[in-house]
Amino acid sequence: MIPVIAVIMISYVLGQVQQYIDETLASALDELSTLDGRPAITLRRKSRKASLFINPTNGALENGGTETHITYTWPGRNTHEAWKFSIVFRVLAVIADAIDTGLMISKRDIYYSDPSCFKNQKVVDTIIDDLAYTIGVDRSALNVDAAAKGLVAGYYRLLRKSGEIMDAQSPAKDSLVPSSHHVGDIDLSDASWVLIIEKEAVYRRLVRSNYHTRAAAGKGILVTGKGYPDLSTRAFIRKLFENSRHLDRVLPFYALVDSDPDGMAIMSTYKYGSMAHTSQNRRLNVPCLWWLGLRTSDVVTGASSNDAEALIRLTSRDRQKIIAMLLNNPVCAAEGPELEWRMELQQMLMLNLKAEIEILYDRNRGLEGWIDWKMASPLPQQNN
Amino acid sequence: MSKQYLSCGSADNAHPTDIFSLAVTDKQILSASGVSSLKVHSTTDSDFPLVQSISGAHRVGCHQVVANGNGSRAVSVGFGGEIRVWSCHNGTWSEDETASVGSAGSADIWAIALSEDGQYLAGASQDGHIRVWDLSACGEQIRDYETKGSFGTCIDLSADGRFIASGHENGSVYIFSTETGRMPFSLSGLVKPVRAVAFSPRGKFLAAAGDSKVIVLYDTVSGEQVANLSGHSAWVLSLSWSHTGEYLLSGSFDGKVKVWSIDTRACVTTHSEMESVVWNVKWLPKTGKSERFAAAGANRSISFYREATCG
Repeated sequence: MIPVIAVIMISYVLGQVQQYIDETLASALDELSTLDGRPAITLRRKSRKASLFINPTNGALENGGTETHITYTWPGRNTHEAWKFSIVFRVLAVIADAIDTGLMISKRDIYYSDPSCFKNQKVVDTIIDDLAYTIGVDRSALNVDAAAKGLVAGYYRLLRKSGEIMDAQSPAKDSLVPSSHHVGDIDLSDASWVLIIEKEAVYRRLVRSNYHTRAAAGKGILVTGKGYPDLSTRAFIRKLFENSRHLDRVLPFYALVDSDPDGMAIMSTYKYGSMAHTSQNRRLNVPCLWWLGLRTSDVVTGASSNDAEALIRLTSRDRQKIIAMLLNNPVCAAEGPELEWRMELQQMLMLNLKAEIEILYDRNRGLEGWIDWKMASPLPQQNN
Repeated sequence: MSKQYLSCGSADNAHPTDIFSLAVTDKQILSASGVSSLKVHSTTDSDFPLVQSISGAHRVGCHQVVANGNGSRAVSVGFGGEIRVWSCHNGTWSEDETASVGSAGSADIWAIALSEDGQYLAGASQDGHIRVWDLSACGEQIRDYETKGSFGTCIDLSADGRFIASGHENGSVYIFSTETGRMPFSLSGLVKPVRAVAFSPRGKFLAAAGDSKVIVLYDTVSGEQVANLSGHSAWVLSLSWSHTGEYLLSGSFDGKVKVWSIDTRACVTTHSEMESVVWNVKWLPKTGKSERFAAAGANRSISFYREATCG
């Protein structure tokens, strides 16, 4: 039954996109063919500086803010509007083509199709997000994927939608995070844990040492989004999480991030979602994510006198970023769900210190021993 | 000679997060934490009941609250850098409409100290400036001392108001004269971040401590180091002098609270009930026979101790 529904859903979404493109292009053509016609396109957008909140049912960071409409006409009041109008139509044309041919394209592909016209990648990214929101679909329904940035290694088996099985279990081999568009189910029966790592360097070290094979907690999966994760990495981890729920045991998901404001913000992005693109969060958040470290207290209490260089002073940007998170991110609010994160951010301000995961390399137990020890402590109760 | 201090109650779970700072008046103790409200507990009642919760004081949390001796005025500084002045009438605190902090709220001030009469506010800024504002004169800035630019982590005013001491992240400790506007001493001895400075009640000594785990006593007349009190095995985060100047109280990152005898230069008692960081320690005013002190930190409660009086 389920696949049938899925097929109906997919064709419904496709129809929605097709219909939007057809209608928009048709009305623009109508305008162009009349004397003094002014072709226009209207985009819907969630106001960015809006009221963020955590949806209690799915644990995702969402936007309760108002919607704004923005209309670009041709030739418009000024050259900026004319430029906006033309680039929105160019992006729409590329998407129409991608849907026609059934090919996935990346945001980078669109940008590089005419860099001087688009000026920068962010311009393209914003238009795509606005179009997806305006039509009311997921970005992938526009056949646009961000080029995968994340890496994964460990014990999972992908069942591709094509029916092919991809076994990732050969040790010491890692790969780009697969596009969730192509992934059906994921078999996680051999994995005992999933570790999400902020930094690529730390990830590479763990892969080289085969940590996913020889951890004290058993075999597992290592993933990194290389800093702030992109949508495909988050979508893949969410898929791991959804598939883990079919297991007859709890598969713990851990986050290993730096003890600094970016580390905390990255963990918040995985667990609750991004503050910039809230409309996707409910499909991408991983509500059961356990903070493995690094905490300032881990560093201070382990600090012997010769290890003082492990601690780094906050920059004024760090301090401003922490204050902004305390003010604006409901995750870290006093009434929010992560009082411990709030405390950690405030402790950084108190001590004016931060620390990087790499400092664990030189500790007695080393990075691997430290992770073994942290994973051995019992998981706290989670509501979800 | 050891001395005993017994637990004499606590304000359990006074705050939902770490308590960063305590301020003591003649009858009350004010506390600040990672949430927006300040709490006021009575110290005249042996149960230390909550008497007031000042809600919405600092949205992103408050890391320091100070009060003047007679308990008429308090000042708090939030993580966002905002400074608020409070006045007390019949035991109830409210925003002080008569005071203005002028430019202090936008000067990147981290640590603050209040004069005994509550008129002058001294602050150490993140760029190492030490400034003084007159709260009665629309917050006019009346002093600005420049140091080498290292983050000002802590500050104290002598009881007579004649000197200011500041501690900095690079280990520097300075003493300034408020009368001449000069800096008589740049004190040596600490190389790691300083987290607490405190003048003895009559201003004879300045105590300073921090990440070097040692408490250094300076003679404020000569600027010489007169003692090193060692015994803490973690960073020392706060210091407080007893009213007679006989004892010094210290709290550290590993949850230890120590009392030091200034006469013998030795630790007379160590409390280690708390397993995690003690952010602040303060002596309470002496009521009755025995001295009392309070400690607070990551365990979210305010713990009270009194001197054991035997015989």
